[in-house]
Amino acid sequence: MRVDVDGSGSFNSLAAKFPRAVLTPAGQAAAAEQAKRAAQPRFDFARDPSKPRAPGEGYVVTDGNCNLPGGVEPNSAAFHMVQSRDQVLIVRENPGLPRTIYMDARAHPDLSRVVPTAVGHSTGRYEAGALVVETIGLATGNVTAGGWRTPETRLTERYRLSADGRRLTITYTWEDPKVYVKPHTYQIVAERTPPGSWAFESWCDSSDPSQRLSIVPPAQNK
Amino acid sequence: MRHAGVLIAVVLSLATLAAQGPPDISGFWELSFDSRRVSAANLAASVTPAMLAKQAEKDAQAIRWCNFLGLPMAMDSPRPINIRQGRREIIINFETVATPRHLYFRAAHADMSVFDPTTNGDSIARWDGDTLVVDTIGFDGAKGVTMIPGGGYRTSDAHLVERYRLVNDGTMLSVTFTWEDPNVFRTPHTYEFRYLRAPRLYEAQPPLPCNPFDEARAAFLAR
Repeated sequence: MRVDVDGSGSFNSLAAKFPRAVLTPAGQAAAAEQAKRAAQPRFDFARDPSKPRAPGEGYVVTDGNCNLPGGVEPNSAAFHMVQSRDQVLIVRENPGLPRTIYMDARAHPDLSRVVPTAVGHSTGRYEAGALVVETIGLATGNVTAGGWRTPETRLTERYRLSADGRRLTITYTWEDPKVYVKPHTYQIVAERTPPGSWAFESWCDSSDPSQRLSIVPPAQNK
Repeated sequence: MRHAGVLIAVVLSLATLAAQGPPDISGFWELSFDSRRVSAANLAASVTPAMLAKQAEKDAQAIRWCNFLGLPMAMDSPRPINIRQGRREIIINFETVATPRHLYFRAAHADMSVFDPTTNGDSIARWDGDTLVVDTIGFDGAKGVTMIPGGGYRTSDAHLVERYRLVNDGTMLSVTFTWEDPNVFRTPHTYEFRYLRAPRLYEAQPPLPCNPFDEARAAFLAR
């Protein structure tokens, strides 16, 4: 379960205190283009934005599709890791692709043979007590704290467990000479869930219209 | 004297087995056309054709809207399933529209008074010799695809016991599924799947796509 103690209480997101990415001009242009696209109304397009929202009228915040892409970083849901002999598997409690980390010394496939996804292609090894994971083949998109990625961008993660086994510190380092002036690094911290915990199932039903909405404000008393 | 020799040999083999620990069933496992041995379920008298038809309609809706499949259909995936065995739990991940299964090495189930029922239920696991025995309750009978191979369907009262065992020098994984549910079955309903180990360098693939808003797909399913 992600804790990120340093960032808690920040209304600018948990990553507000992370060092900002330093992008090349090409990286800045790509990120700016994406920011412009993100600012467009994507789901509420049929609504006239000049009219005030009526009481009880929700905001359409998703397209209602439950097949979410997932990502390399944990989000607000707990994540679960199992280390087997030749693979580490990480799954989230909410929808999204799992992280499959090959530990059998296989190489990354050539990028021409990789279909970019939100989790890419990952290989791992143990180094001085840390799990070191190398990932390529990520779908083009945003990275925490102002970063940017393409399938060529290389992500290195170092997973280190505290001496008492209670906390897991994950250090992310993004490298790509076309995108970053210098490697973009930040850390997140996760806390082990108590013994006896179980994984929640994040149910999602695309046939339910309310699935697309944010919290619907109740009708107000006059 | 000969009996003493046999006894020593048996004791030595058991000691070797104990020293080796339980088997590791981790791997990518896939079903083939001849992997399923399923007999017809002995359904309870209370299960009427109308109830079966209603359940089949609900399952069709779940498929139409790409709902998480849940058990038992997730275990009948057309793609390899990824089983990873850790010390505290085993995770089974699917390359289809289904949430991962968590099989916890615990003695007791979650407290059902606070457990939110799920499509996969609450699974606890233990080793019985070389066989992994997984006991599952806590199902949600209203979500996902509920049809059970051989007949019947998953309800919130269902109890599933699975027995996983490596066979053929570890190239095959036998899983027997036994469903008990007084609402649905007159007698426990058992069937077996035999999964083949996928090639060593198999690469996990993104799940099979399912777009609930694809009108052509919806029309195809409605036919």
